[in-house]
Amino acid sequence: MRALCWNGVNDLRVETVPDPEIVNPHDAILRVTLSTTCGSDLHFIDGYLPTMKAGDIIGHEFMGEVVEVGRDVKKVKKGDRVVVPSFIVCGSCWYCDHQLWSLCDNTNPKPEYQQVAFGYPTAGIYGYTHAFGGYAGAHAQFVRVPYADNDCFLVPEGLRDEQVLFLSDAAPTGYMGADFCGIQPGATIAVWGAGGVGLMAMRSAYLLGAERVIAVDRFPERLAMAEKFVGAEALDYSQVESVVDVLREMTGGRGPDACIDAVGMEAHGTGPAYAYDRAKQALHLHSDRGQAVREAILACRKGGTLSVLGVYGLMDKFPLGAIMNKGLTLRTAQQHGQKYLPRLLEHVAKGELDPSFLATHRFSLEDAPKGYEMFKKKEDGCVRAVFTS
Amino acid sequence: MASSRTVALREVPPRDASSQEDLLPGRWSRAASTVVAGTLMSLGLRRRSLGGTVMALASGALLYQGLHSRKRAPSTGGRTALRRVSTGAEARREPLVEVERTITVGRPAEELYRLWSEPSTLSRLMAHFADVTSTRGGDGRHWQIHGPMGRELSWDSRIVEDRPPELHRWESTEDSPVKVQGQVRFKPAPADFGTEVTLHLAFSPPGGALGEALAKRMRGIPAMQVMKSLRRFKSLAETGEIPTLDHNPSARVSAD
Repeated sequence: MRALCWNGVNDLRVETVPDPEIVNPHDAILRVTLSTTCGSDLHFIDGYLPTMKAGDIIGHEFMGEVVEVGRDVKKVKKGDRVVVPSFIVCGSCWYCDHQLWSLCDNTNPKPEYQQVAFGYPTAGIYGYTHAFGGYAGAHAQFVRVPYADNDCFLVPEGLRDEQVLFLSDAAPTGYMGADFCGIQPGATIAVWGAGGVGLMAMRSAYLLGAERVIAVDRFPERLAMAEKFVGAEALDYSQVESVVDVLREMTGGRGPDACIDAVGMEAHGTGPAYAYDRAKQALHLHSDRGQAVREAILACRKGGTLSVLGVYGLMDKFPLGAIMNKGLTLRTAQQHGQKYLPRLLEHVAKGELDPSFLATHRFSLEDAPKGYEMFKKKEDGCVRAVFTS
Repeated sequence: MASSRTVALREVPPRDASSQEDLLPGRWSRAASTVVAGTLMSLGLRRRSLGGTVMALASGALLYQGLHSRKRAPSTGGRTALRRVSTGAEARREPLVEVERTITVGRPAEELYRLWSEPSTLSRLMAHFADVTSTRGGDGRHWQIHGPMGRELSWDSRIVEDRPPELHRWESTEDSPVKVQGQVRFKPAPADFGTEVTLHLAFSPPGGALGEALAKRMRGIPAMQVMKSLRRFKSLAETGEIPTLDHNPSARVSAD
């Protein structure tokens, strides 16, 4: 089959690779119908997230049609049109039982990497480094889905592919981020990053009862999207002296009740602190540029919630004192997609959520490297590049 | 903002001879991966070095002793201990490498005890470093480890203590070239966590030294392999399968 492979830093190519096979009894094989870029892919494409190997197939946000199932697959059937959360879960361990799906104990074939880095390993992901399992990714014609009964969600009739594709990752990640905020009536939620995940977090905050949502970004077209498709208020951080001051004034001097970081380790910013981060990261003295999350911590009202969705490695200059003294609640996780998929499918079916506006650009799988280039550089207002295989 | 710049300047480390060496261009990528998560790649956990690692596990016990001695006497004791053990190893036959790790499995002890006893289970758990087959009608086990350059190490083991559903203990037979003791214990965990499963392995070297070079490969590896076996057991018990990258497509020759 054809697949998009990582061959080194900033070296993506479409290559011919072997087809996946059923290897375990709960596996299914999907013919991928749509897959999409994710900002978190850029971290290893740019070389900031280690444990990639040359030849890895990338891509973790996708949907497809089931073409083959293993002997112990009970619910999923050949021919089903399904959307698949990016984290692979077993459905049987303590973490799965407690709805902490991305912490599943049984789906990372290479737990030793994360045991060293994090103390305990998380679940595996498709096409997202060997620390997250080393599974082949989904920017390919076919993909193996382990534990198919827990990981494939049937798409109801009447929904278009592009309406449900982002339920694989961007939508449940954003929804979880808003859920973490414990939104009360009248709440104001500020969201850093108006990319796919951030825009979904903004929309979810409204769905969960927020009164106001403020989008912080610097790209006019993304801020325009936040206003047009989500109804958020836009704050262009490159046009103001201090985001923290502006947010304080916008909220009667209190600060947002909760702040969501949907940016991660390659944040952009302004001023000397950003230059310092950038230089240290370029020299590999630390892996993260953390301007967005620092700002979110300072901007958040006392006793508020900081919800971190961005992907981080190790970061210094983390203002823990502000979290402690202001009594913030820090909530974070990789997406527990399996928890949110059923209700998200319902929201889409009822017309309350339509993530298809994220699909700003479409490419064939053969042109996927071009798609990533455009996505990375945010050319032509690219929010997400979608691949058809 | 001026203060940030000051902090940045202050953080530049003083340059002595060794830190200058660390700043050579070739070191950058290594530093980066160490910072985040990639440290294990250099520990020889890639498949191509696994055989050598396990060979070290089985026969390099004296080196492990050396590493431990070094911990107790950080200045010069390590090398001394290494020499002492490598010349006097024949005198000691007690186990020198001991590893114990515990994992919690969400199943009752009775079920886990039964699963562990099944003839096919051990071979599935240890598949990443050993072939384990049944001997003498299923009671004993034959272990085989493939080392580098075609070297092989094998031994037989038999159950020496059996207390269902709490414990299995086994030992290598008298004629084995390597002395191995192992036991697995099952203890109920609190609340709804299931059962705490502890695997204990002890290895005695087959006489002679494989050399100081092995020491570098030994650090942390036996514990890692024991933990990996336990994780495989947990997955098998909880889900009926073990996560795998067999036939995992990529643009490389190897699947993982």
